[in-house]
Amino acid sequence: MSDPSVSALIAEETQSGVPSRSLWSEAFRTLRRRPDVILATIVAVFFLLVALFPFLFTSKDPQRCDIAESRLPPQWFGGEHPFGTNAYGCDVLAQLVHGTRPSLLLAFIVVGVSVLIGVTLGTVSGYYLGIVDAVVSRIVEVFLVIPLLLAALLLLSLFRNIDLGDGPVSTIAQPAIVLTMFAWMGYTRYVRASVLETKNLDYVTAARVLGASDLRIMVRHVLPNAIGTVTALVPTAIAAVIGTEAVLAFLGIGVRPPAVSWGIMIEEGSQWFTGGSEYLLLFPLGCLMATVLAFVVIGDNLRDALDPKLK
Amino acid sequence: MGRYITRRVLQGFLTLFLVMFLLHLLTTLAIQLNGNPAQAFFGDRTPSPSQLAAVETRYGLDDPCYDQLGNPCIGPFVERLGDYAQGDFGESLRGRPVTDIVSTAAPNTLRLFVVVTITWLAIGMTLGGIAARRRGKASDHGIRGLSILIDALPIFVLLLVYKYIFSVPLSRWAKDTFGSDSLPALLFKPSFSPQHAWATLIVPGILLGLAGSAAFIRLVRAAQLETYNADHVRTARSKGLSERHVSRHHVVRNSAIPVVTAVGIVFTEALAGAVITEGMMNIYGMGGVLWKAVQDSDVSVVIGVVTLLAAVTVVVMLVVDVVYAALDPRIRYE
Amino acid sequence: MTTDPTRDGTPVPLLQVDDLAIEFATPDGVVRAVDGLSYSVSAGRTLAIVGESGSGKSVSSLAVMGLLQQPPARIVRGSIRFGGTELLSLGQKAHRAVCGENIAMVFQDALAALNPVHTVGWQLTEALRARHGMSRRDATARAVELLDLVKVPNAKQRVKEYPHQFSGGMRQRVMIAMALSMDPEVLIADEPTTALDVTVQAQIMRLLSEIQAERQMGLILITHDMGVVANVADDVTVMYAGRAVEQASVFDIYAAPAHPYTRALLGSIPRLDQKGGGLAVIPGRPPDPTQVPAGCAFHPRCAFAEDVCRADPPPPTVSLPFDRTSACHFAEEVMNHDEH
Repeated sequence: MSDPSVSALIAEETQSGVPSRSLWSEAFRTLRRRPDVILATIVAVFFLLVALFPFLFTSKDPQRCDIAESRLPPQWFGGEHPFGTNAYGCDVLAQLVHGTRPSLLLAFIVVGVSVLIGVTLGTVSGYYLGIVDAVVSRIVEVFLVIPLLLAALLLLSLFRNIDLGDGPVSTIAQPAIVLTMFAWMGYTRYVRASVLETKNLDYVTAARVLGASDLRIMVRHVLPNAIGTVTALVPTAIAAVIGTEAVLAFLGIGVRPPAVSWGIMIEEGSQWFTGGSEYLLLFPLGCLMATVLAFVVIGDNLRDALDPKLK
Repeated sequence: MGRYITRRVLQGFLTLFLVMFLLHLLTTLAIQLNGNPAQAFFGDRTPSPSQLAAVETRYGLDDPCYDQLGNPCIGPFVERLGDYAQGDFGESLRGRPVTDIVSTAAPNTLRLFVVVTITWLAIGMTLGGIAARRRGKASDHGIRGLSILIDALPIFVLLLVYKYIFSVPLSRWAKDTFGSDSLPALLFKPSFSPQHAWATLIVPGILLGLAGSAAFIRLVRAAQLETYNADHVRTARSKGLSERHVSRHHVVRNSAIPVVTAVGIVFTEALAGAVITEGMMNIYGMGGVLWKAVQDSDVSVVIGVVTLLAAVTVVVMLVVDVVYAALDPRIRYE
Repeated sequence: MTTDPTRDGTPVPLLQVDDLAIEFATPDGVVRAVDGLSYSVSAGRTLAIVGESGSGKSVSSLAVMGLLQQPPARIVRGSIRFGGTELLSLGQKAHRAVCGENIAMVFQDALAALNPVHTVGWQLTEALRARHGMSRRDATARAVELLDLVKVPNAKQRVKEYPHQFSGGMRQRVMIAMALSMDPEVLIADEPTTALDVTVQAQIMRLLSEIQAERQMGLILITHDMGVVANVADDVTVMYAGRAVEQASVFDIYAAPAHPYTRALLGSIPRLDQKGGGLAVIPGRPPDPTQVPAGCAFHPRCAFAEDVCRADPPPPTVSLPFDRTSACHFAEEVMNHDEH
């Protein structure tokens, strides 16, 4: 399995691999009937839209600030600055809107790439066992020993002085790499366990006897069973990354100014909280909590729907 | 059992070695990409080459491999391992040994973890157990809602909300009502005070424990539910034993197995949470030291503390494995 | 095999079930799992309850033991009496306590039914220690005795071992020993040999009937295997879709079954005394418990069915000579029908 193109192929096929339809349509039917899921989905989709099309929600440039208009209280809709301005006179609404993108983009990249890595390694190690499994399991254990946040603190402070530029991807590249490095192990474990369970089932043995290639067996027969568990983990993982990003930004080692993110706004806002400008903390904190809550609710229900055993 | 433990201990050492090597590789890469961390010693001043060289020697950064991108720097790694073996985990930028810093900071972290563990057990076992017993009833749904809510409030947010919104008015009220040195006033004090280590740690500890308890609640519930319906529990009931006896010797005893295995994972999360908690509440513990070191770019303290914490984690996971084996004979006799 | 087939002077029954009906609440509606079941078992006699899976045979014995989960289960009506005590009016706690002392149960899958984290010795004497306050030392000695009783070799060593260290047959012996630990008067064995090899099955059945004969216990044997029944049972209750369709002595039922379902069951046992002619297969499948056919539940699969069977449910019992009953419109015809 040293051929990287094979792993890439597996990774690619897992994206389109369609597990038993009934499980998914059943899950979808259950979810569609739950009001909390609907509400959470609306919130999540709303913030996704904000991240994708910020100009639909504000016409102001978050970077153009007038220090003379510093800390104006919220004027609500109709006013020049609906959510007020911050200590540098920047429009809070514009910052909130433009701060959505780095948080969500980071979360999606980190979770997406970790799932790819985790699914690939988990499948390969569960399927081949032996030396491959021993190596993968050892690596998993090594990475598990260092908590995500500790690793992020260490690496991001080590790499603090490296500047990758101002583009939307390059501002989040560093946290994205570091968080991904320490977030893939969970998926590997789940997928490995599920592969172990599946690979000796009769229909898989039958496929093997009939001469199907390892790759085909993995992609067509073994993986679809693992995808359910992994999918159920994704929304919760997204929520966790959003939360972690806020911590890192708060410490000044995540997304960094001049780019805006909710974490940075929370950090700045917390300094003014006792000084009478509570809204500077409450707005970004509220957005963060709403988004995280939405993803957690979706994740929790998805877990129930895809894994009815735990209900 | 003895052989099992020996094997796990050896594996633990291997893991720890690999962790240190990984940390070393990442640090080396950072130095090679980033330039010399010795620079941080001087802050904004520009040191003379001889001053810089002196600092480099002191932190073991004078090896030429640090200038060659891609060189794994095995030499300095072996040297550092030797230092670790002698209990030397490096020095802070102010010249204080990391071990010294840690030994004054660790007791506070331990205190924090005592509070956290009690909170976990109290909340996780009680609520998880109730939810399992009342499956599908209002209390089950309520507990589930609560655990989602806890999940949705990362410790960072929880602490922000507490510190800025609750702590100040609460502590003011407690001071006015009970006096400034009374227990309630200390409980709600927004920052740590070394003279009253326990009192000022309780609320942050409970909050941190609360943040990790959602996973516990779910886990205890799932484990107990599975056991409640297990055949062997039915057998025990058929013996005419009291429900209390069945619950203690069969349900709780058997469901403890999956819960214990999860402690290892939750522990690493709590360790990360402790960094945030101690950092934000100004608690002088290992996490607080790390938080401060990150803000000060004190790289050698960061490496030393992370290595130590990784070692602690390896030990905790080892203990979890041994307890697991003690609880489950099927593992022991494998 | 154990007692003579005379039907006079039957002693007072130890355990008597009368008109028992149990319902389950399921997402697809209420299911009646047991409907109007009655039977009794006396000391030293063996009652076999025969039926396919889902016929209500296991559910009814769980009800006897007070082990039904309520809800979703609900006992709609009926009575379960042990030695004159009405168990259903006792409340769950007292019900189970009475059963713990007097009625023991051997479960189907011994690996699942034994707790994996306690030693076999611990589980064998758990009830003695918890309920009778037996000391640890006495308990260990008793555990060894019990394993000896069920012929587990090297009992002294094996009481310290865990269930997963036993083979399937040995585990089932442990289950039986555990059931005997409280010297029960009635033993319910729920498909005790299903999970085992054929040779081991025979050994376990022999062990059960030996022990039963020795201790003069009442034995209820729940099985789907008519072949087992012939060797050990005194009386037989055949269940179909929650109802007892035929009840008779083993002698009568083998001589002339009075219900088409029993007849079909007997036809599906391989017999050495008849050459040729493949085994009879019962056509169709057991009914979906949420959609039991109207009229007689068995009519879609029945060779004797007529219009009346599709329209009217048969009387719960048609009394026949020799104390036997059959829930069939054509019981006498079936009994007298001879296809050989």
